[in-house]
Amino acid sequence: MTLRSTIRSNIKMALSSVKSNKWRSFLTMLGIIIGITSVVTVVSIGEGIKHQVNGQISQLGSDLITVRPGELVQRDSSGSINGVNFLQGSNSFGSLTQNDMNVVAKTKDVQQAVPLALVNGVVKVEGLKGSSPLVLATTSDLPKLLSQSIAGGSFFESDTSAEPYVAVIGANVAQKLFHQRMPLGSSFEFLGQQFFVQGVFNKFDTPPLSLSTDFNDTIFIPYTTAQMLTQNNTQLYEVLAKPTDPAQLGTVVKNISDSLTNEHQGQQKFTVLRQDEGLAVTNNVLDLLTRLIAGIAAISLLVGGISIMDVMLVSVAERMHEIGIRKALGATNRQILTQFLTEASVLSVLGGLIGVVVSLAIAFLIGSFSPLTPVVTWQIVLLATGVSLVVGIIFGTAPALKAARKDPIDALRNN
Amino acid sequence: MGAIIKLEDVSKLYGFGDATTLALDEASLTIEPNEFVAVMGPSGSGKSTLMNVIGLLDRPTHGQFLFNGRSVARLSQNQRAKIRRDTIGFIFQSYNLLPRLTVLENVALPLAYKGVSLAHRTKLASNMLERVGMGDREYFYPGQLSGGQVQCTAIARALVNDPKLIIADEPTGNLDSASSRLVMELLGDIHKTGNTILFVTHNPELTRYANRVVYMHDGGIVKDEQNVVGRVAKTAFKQMYTVPETTAEDDLAGVSALMKALPHKESSHGKAAVKPKKKSTPKAKKSKRGQK
Repeated sequence: MTLRSTIRSNIKMALSSVKSNKWRSFLTMLGIIIGITSVVTVVSIGEGIKHQVNGQISQLGSDLITVRPGELVQRDSSGSINGVNFLQGSNSFGSLTQNDMNVVAKTKDVQQAVPLALVNGVVKVEGLKGSSPLVLATTSDLPKLLSQSIAGGSFFESDTSAEPYVAVIGANVAQKLFHQRMPLGSSFEFLGQQFFVQGVFNKFDTPPLSLSTDFNDTIFIPYTTAQMLTQNNTQLYEVLAKPTDPAQLGTVVKNISDSLTNEHQGQQKFTVLRQDEGLAVTNNVLDLLTRLIAGIAAISLLVGGISIMDVMLVSVAERMHEIGIRKALGATNRQILTQFLTEASVLSVLGGLIGVVVSLAIAFLIGSFSPLTPVVTWQIVLLATGVSLVVGIIFGTAPALKAARKDPIDALRNN
Repeated sequence: MGAIIKLEDVSKLYGFGDATTLALDEASLTIEPNEFVAVMGPSGSGKSTLMNVIGLLDRPTHGQFLFNGRSVARLSQNQRAKIRRDTIGFIFQSYNLLPRLTVLENVALPLAYKGVSLAHRTKLASNMLERVGMGDREYFYPGQLSGGQVQCTAIARALVNDPKLIIADEPTGNLDSASSRLVMELLGDIHKTGNTILFVTHNPELTRYANRVVYMHDGGIVKDEQNVVGRVAKTAFKQMYTVPETTAEDDLAGVSALMKALPHKESSHGKAAVKPKKKSTPKAKKSKRGQK
């Protein structure tokens, strides 16, 4: 009880000393405020992206299998990912062929497989500004596989030989290219042919920073049409597949991998990913980035701690007489130490709390002015407060020790 | 009952080499419980050093010091702090209240270090302020009070822990004569309740409150005389210091002038007698000395 009342009166005293020196206290806390704000903001943005990725996965269905060209991930013997190759992943188009697509489709227990082929070319439409959207060639099973509905019109049939030059577009393309939500029947020129928009997808829930392409910015054309236009020289961007039984997901992934390895004479120039592994890849990227930026932000915590130490040293020197009085009245070294440690901690925790409030405001602003919604979890708030407390204690110790060890008579003489 | 203070050949040196100062020179002093001791002497005679050593704020360089019959030479800083907290009350010339705390908080501070709960220490401090006549100023800050009121608060703070020994280093040094009398009479009342009081003064007039007067010069105790409370001590009255004539005159000229002006110098003087001379120059001189 006595300890609690001492701490309480120490905190009260520290708060009054913070209040009596408002500007100095604010400047002292600034380093901590900036540090905590940046760390919490960065982590909350990362958290927000993860939430969106998770949302997308539950929407697409967790049994979706993605086959990508290039050795995107490294696996250990048991099959779990133990490394991610970012550069490889984006650089190795072309190693997946139509043949591989057939292999995947024929693999045991694969219900359906859909190719996504990148078709190079420029989309021309009257009045288009900015970059041309991505064109992917695919088959009629795509909407079903992605569990994505068409907002208007219809997806192309499995046999488009009667009307080969049709397209289904993503929601953003509709806005960018045709400046309307439902530009059914509009046309654009691509590889010398006139394509007609037959359907528009509902908006895909695509997370930023994910490794997959944003389907909202994509034009889909029939696969057979693409083969025709490129003389069978299409590059497979990825193959999406679904198992007949979602419970057999692991086995099917392994089967696909085995049959492809067999097809490639033992070389692994492709990656078979499950949705949850896709998440792992995204999380891996995010964690790395978050840690990097948080690490840089943590430097300002260090600077903040040093400025707290600086101000506390000045404060101890200024209040030497007060320390002398307190010691004459019977304060022990530990009681003086506690008093100044409390003051340093109050400064830094206050700075931390202000930082948390500022980052909440920033998260709110980001949430209202961008598609991303940062998530500030209670864990990160707790961590931020804890870290600032630790910073206060670490950097407050030296000045507090200096105050505590002062000889009472020297301190009293100091006026 | 044993002596509360027993100093045997205590010396205190400051500095090194040629700059060494001998602040206390083999001083011996024994103080029994319930004594009211005045310490007199010119500036630099070691009075304050003696107070600091007795108050366990400073350590003697040589000699033995028994506090309550116990040698304090080997006590740690924290043990000394606890003795100060539990058995000694300090009153300083410059009051030494914490300006950011209210009167009540200032008085309650020693109790806080003792670990008394907030409610209890507020009550004790409040009672003590009532006793020194500051009951209606509890929530004032020291800056809002007069010198006499501040010193009364400081006395309340010194008393709040119910200490055996009260050490007052020139408690009236910064006060005018009316406030001085107020403070000294308060100390006299406290003495009557059984406390041991040790105070330093430059003003021979104030020795009338003490029952024993100790004279210091150049770090040593040169005379130690018993006194009848209510009378100015003989030696103080005669200004018998073993110091150069001029210095002694310097020291006490103002007081002598004051005493000459009083019609009944040895009886308890009336207010009217003191007031006309309040603004005389020697006062300023005295307080300047006091700041040393």
